[in-house]
Amino acid sequence: MSAHAKTISLTVNGTRVEATVPPRQHLGDFLRERELLTGTHLGCEHGVCGACTILIDGEPARSCITFAVACDGRSVTTVEGLDDDPLAAELREAFSAEHGLQCGFCTPGMLVAARDVVLRCPDADNRAIRTAMSGNLCRCTGYVGIVNAIRRVIDARNTNAG
Amino acid sequence: MAEVSTAGSGVGARVRRKEDDRLLRGRGRFVGDIALVGMKELAFVRSPVAHATITGIGIPEEHRGAVFTWADLAAGGVKPIRAVSGLPGFKVSEQPALADGKVRFVGEPVAVCVAASRAEAEDIAASVFVDYAELPVNSDMLEAVKPGAPKVHDHWPDNVFLETNVGGTIAEIAATAPVKVSRTIRTARQCMVPLEGKGVVVHWDRHVEQLVLTTSTQMPHIVRAGLSECLDLDQGLIRVVAPDVGGGFGWKGLLQPEEVVAAWIAMRLDRPVRWTEDRREHLVAAANAREHHYEITAYADERGRLLGVEADAWVDAGAYSVYPFSACLEAAQVGSILPGPYDFAHYRCRTFSVCTNKPPIVPYRGVARTGVCFAMEQMIDAVADAVGREPWQVRLENLVPPEKMPFDNVTRKHFDSGDYPESVRRAVAAIGLDGWRARQKAGEPDGRLIGVGFATCCEQSAHGTAVYHGWGIPMVPGHEQAQARITPDGGLELRVGVQSHGQSMETTFAQVAHEVLGIPLEKIKLVHGDTGLTPYSTGTWGSRSMVMAGGAVATACRTLAERLCRIGAHLMQAAGPEAVVLKDGAVTAGGAAVTVREIAHTWYRAPQLLPADVDRGGLEVTAGYKPGSDHGTFSYATHAVAVAVDPEIGQVEILDYVVVEDAGTMVNPMVVDGQIYGGVAQGVGTALYERMPYDAEGQPLASTFMDYLIPGFTEVPHVRIIHMLTPSPYTEFGVKGIGEGGAIAPPAALCNAINDALKPLGVIVTNAPMTPEVILSAIAGQRGTA
Repeated sequence: MSAHAKTISLTVNGTRVEATVPPRQHLGDFLRERELLTGTHLGCEHGVCGACTILIDGEPARSCITFAVACDGRSVTTVEGLDDDPLAAELREAFSAEHGLQCGFCTPGMLVAARDVVLRCPDADNRAIRTAMSGNLCRCTGYVGIVNAIRRVIDARNTNAG
Repeated sequence: MAEVSTAGSGVGARVRRKEDDRLLRGRGRFVGDIALVGMKELAFVRSPVAHATITGIGIPEEHRGAVFTWADLAAGGVKPIRAVSGLPGFKVSEQPALADGKVRFVGEPVAVCVAASRAEAEDIAASVFVDYAELPVNSDMLEAVKPGAPKVHDHWPDNVFLETNVGGTIAEIAATAPVKVSRTIRTARQCMVPLEGKGVVVHWDRHVEQLVLTTSTQMPHIVRAGLSECLDLDQGLIRVVAPDVGGGFGWKGLLQPEEVVAAWIAMRLDRPVRWTEDRREHLVAAANAREHHYEITAYADERGRLLGVEADAWVDAGAYSVYPFSACLEAAQVGSILPGPYDFAHYRCRTFSVCTNKPPIVPYRGVARTGVCFAMEQMIDAVADAVGREPWQVRLENLVPPEKMPFDNVTRKHFDSGDYPESVRRAVAAIGLDGWRARQKAGEPDGRLIGVGFATCCEQSAHGTAVYHGWGIPMVPGHEQAQARITPDGGLELRVGVQSHGQSMETTFAQVAHEVLGIPLEKIKLVHGDTGLTPYSTGTWGSRSMVMAGGAVATACRTLAERLCRIGAHLMQAAGPEAVVLKDGAVTAGGAAVTVREIAHTWYRAPQLLPADVDRGGLEVTAGYKPGSDHGTFSYATHAVAVAVDPEIGQVEILDYVVVEDAGTMVNPMVVDGQIYGGVAQGVGTALYERMPYDAEGQPLASTFMDYLIPGFTEVPHVRIIHMLTPSPYTEFGVKGIGEGGAIAPPAALCNAINDALKPLGVIVTNAPMTPEVILSAIAGQRGTA
């Protein structure tokens, strides 16, 4: 451990966590290596592919370009923390029905981003869904199944609301 | 047409995937998720230059014992990777897992550093000082074959792994054909970019006395064979396990130097070690696919009927021959598959597998077919242009017609079934060609140019024994095996040596077993990708798994069905096995029924009730399978795309994209669609975006996703798929392999569409990717000469 290690206190998936971390450790490594929350996947480690997207205080963020020390006092939610989230449950159902995942590596980041898109853009058409999701890369699905899954959730919510 | 029902959950049903839940909850288990007690992390020192002699490696005193070089591995008896082809004239390269005195591409591993964390291992790597005496570089394959080019391997006479010649002379056709069109065509070097990089965790299991290598691979049994050769360790002392694997596309279908190094370090230090490929390592050291160059001429009559094709083709195979596919498979395949789905009589093709100072080439989804289709389909459009017909009409003129199926083409490829011309007709109708032609004529208010392009391809899958025996490489597919075992509670375990990394085999193989045995999907468990638990297999490549391992699963389940019927008949005191039927998970005779669960209970828990002549093999079967044809299956497709090209900025927008595809019988149409969608997305990348540029010194000029562009949500169209269903006469249920086809035709279809759009300007593009820069320089060239 580096001599410059810092002690931080944060909430991870609703649980208080105290940890001493090296300043250079990014949040993705912290979650995976220390908290054993391996659902957050690292696809590029330079903030482009979106596989490592998590929520910080409810907002999507790239855990690979966020330092763990910068999360002192924050609340972090990973894909594992969305097990009981009703909207995440709707998305999981829709991703499965629409074949929105193949190898599953980009999927945790996709779900976190999609959840945000459904909340932020409740009237999004396919084009708007694609634009809103464009910060996440998938190499398997060709995106059609993912767009259809998000479309399905948005449509169901609008039908139920109407 | 297929006779298989799409109801229920057997073959043909669109059922949801068994693997989804864990992946959707972040509970998959990828290599990077595995940590073992006391595990060390590895980081590699990689060459920053493309070609050099190593004159010294300086390891700081404080890190001695944490850094290893080839000298250490060689002293430990490690041998270089040798992937030899038996084709006459093949020149052998030896690839030491760490550079042995010379580096031959940027990114080549030179030394390995061991530490408690990856960050610390990278710190050590940064402190290792390597002296390089730089040598002249081969950064372009066409220069590398010229006399006097610097040699990648000093003892070779030139830089050609292999030259092949297919077909005979077509001088007579060349002299007399009414139509002759020639093109120079090129595709770019690409990275495959699975979202998960490669990774490996190795430890020595003291209890079973085995080296256990858990690695993100498509072919665990082949990795084991290669490791055994390099480490001089019996295969029985090695177990290779593939956990969840985050995409492969070919990049995970090889023995990697890093796997050899990690295995040796784990044994040397007697500690678990892990290496995880990061994105920069992938983009720099694994830019290893697709780089082709064609000089090609097509000869035709006035209607556009092909009389002959001749070509010279070069493939940049990089610095070494990879295990097991070798450095020559791709170029040699060009020679044998360039004729595509067409019926013509005269053909000549010469190919060169060129050795350069770039990463070694590995077969990427579609292998040579993407480049071949890109070349051949441009020629069809060129012929159409020369004879003044619509390109789709010239395709109809030349495609193998259904009445000739099965058909042996000019290179003796045996097409099994299908109606190739019908795929074109359906594509023309589905894209709405007339509407686009009218819009083209009217012109766009924004000045953009509309174009429509077609490409037809066929995809050989489940390659057979003879062809691979012919290649003479370290791997020859024979009979594929599967194990099927009824569990004591009436469930089913399937074990296969192929490996699923997105292909949904946990679901689709269960569907195959369900079709035969009627056991519900939720009670069927697939075990795959583990040499310790599964039968030998060459693995998942070449769109082979459903045909081969699916066929083996069906075969094994049929034997199980017979045994279940025999025991069931005895328990019901029926006249004999022929008096009963197995249906919906029970053996029935008239009104009586005994469930698979009851039969399983009898075999495992109440054997006193079994018939005296019961098969002693019990409720566990290993069965082997080969399709009826050693040539495998041929799925085929016609892709149609409409684009708008902006002549001012060179940008291409895809307005509509249709795939008419015949995959034979589909085990799960949802999964087939997913393979096609995903393939097309990669094809769009090949066509418009993806290129690893190199400078004259062999330096890769992209190393992040900001400069190596893979298509995202806004670049890939909402593809429409139309299925044709012509079963293969040679396979279980009539299935055909389909994994690669989607990625084959898009560059060709998009190129033809762009050229259709550019037609009023009198220019063409022939090289991929067709970036704005390429399109604008084509337009500017014409303006310059005008």
